[in-house]
Amino acid sequence: MEIPYYPGCTLKVKATALEQSTVAAFAALNVSLKELPRWTCCGAVYPLMGTRIAGLAAPIRILREAKLMGSDTMVTACAFCFNVLKRANRDIAADPLCKRRINAYLADDVRVDEATNEKIMQWPEYAGEDDVKVLHLLELLRDRVGFGKLSAAVKKPLRGLRVAPYYGCTLLRPKEIALDDPEQPVIMHDLLRSLGAEPVDFPFLNECCASFLSLAKPETALRPSYQIVSSAEAEGAQVLAVTCPLCYYNMESRQSEIREQYPDFKGMPVFYFTELLALALGVSLDQAIGWKDHTVEVRGLLESVGLRDRDK
Amino acid sequence: MRVDLSSDEIRSSLVAEIEELCGQDVLKCYQCGRCSAGCPIVEEMDLLPNQVSRLIQLGLEQEVLNSKTVWLCVSCFMCQSRCPQGVDLPTLMDSLRYLATKRGYDRFGPNEIDRETIMRAPQQGVVSAYRKLSS
Repeated sequence: MEIPYYPGCTLKVKATALEQSTVAAFAALNVSLKELPRWTCCGAVYPLMGTRIAGLAAPIRILREAKLMGSDTMVTACAFCFNVLKRANRDIAADPLCKRRINAYLADDVRVDEATNEKIMQWPEYAGEDDVKVLHLLELLRDRVGFGKLSAAVKKPLRGLRVAPYYGCTLLRPKEIALDDPEQPVIMHDLLRSLGAEPVDFPFLNECCASFLSLAKPETALRPSYQIVSSAEAEGAQVLAVTCPLCYYNMESRQSEIREQYPDFKGMPVFYFTELLALALGVSLDQAIGWKDHTVEVRGLLESVGLRDRDK
Repeated sequence: MRVDLSSDEIRSSLVAEIEELCGQDVLKCYQCGRCSAGCPIVEEMDLLPNQVSRLIQLGLEQEVLNSKTVWLCVSCFMCQSRCPQGVDLPTLMDSLRYLATKRGYDRFGPNEIDRETIMRAPQQGVVSAYRKLSS
């Protein structure tokens, strides 16, 4: 299987653990993720005030690039990008005037073809989700690969590992673009089960981690992360699995700050779900785990469930 | 909280103005409070999300645009997904930030984010903070 892939900015800079494990895991599944030849930032947040359409230019230009690759589907690994791209895709398909305006806006694009040095000034009209469908990696696994087939491909089942699946906001809300039931999602539970791990249900699994408030108001933003991780721990989880780099920052990278503010905070290792996926598929530890991104020690825990590099 | 009501304010154009900006009809809100019950940041807010809707209905522009709440909402959409009346509060908050900025109310700006945090945080966090806080 070959599919256009949009990594987004964060995966190339701060969330290399997510990118590296994604590429390795899907290669192990014989799914070839073809990175778009050219792409920009998607804008990170969806322009909510519909009257200001300039915010649609970046996501629609990215999706048009996937159409130019001749595909009807594009996959993305970042939860923010998924949200922005899928909303833009849906909204222009539903609003003919908006579709016309954004296409008129993007018709002025000029690009120099690096091979021929010729100017490209003609662009196909982009019609929204009727042209290219946006899939998150989790949907690719559920709907195209299939959890049954994935389960059969597992080489090192994560037996005995109790993982709390944290869904966060942008994959589930607004409900119009949700990849699962916004209040009772199961897609990550099912994924973890097919990897041999034990999913641990917890009440905060779809609560917001305070998102970008951790930049604007770093102290104020600690409480939600404290509550989420503590709730997972109270339900008996050993690790938290996340999809989004900003959730990872708030709940992994900031654990020592959480502990300073809430002395009873125990904390726990946090993984991108793709790291666990890669591990279960038999990818080597160094390829599956972005060691430098883990501020919380994870090696001991991985060894306790039988995951160690043979050559070490 | 105590507020002074006047017929001028109640008949002000605030509700219509917001509807034109973002398409949200604030008059649909009947104060069930589900938005506030589910809000992850509510403990830090000076106005509850449902109070924001109520004060807009009463035309109390200053109270709303001066509140911290407007700058604390991170658009997690929990309230939107639970609102029985279909009011999209995150979108409403975006339009309030826009109005507050345009009308010169005291506000939190992205330049208050310290450099160390910017270097440390993921790109999506930096971009979303800048975009949301300068809207």
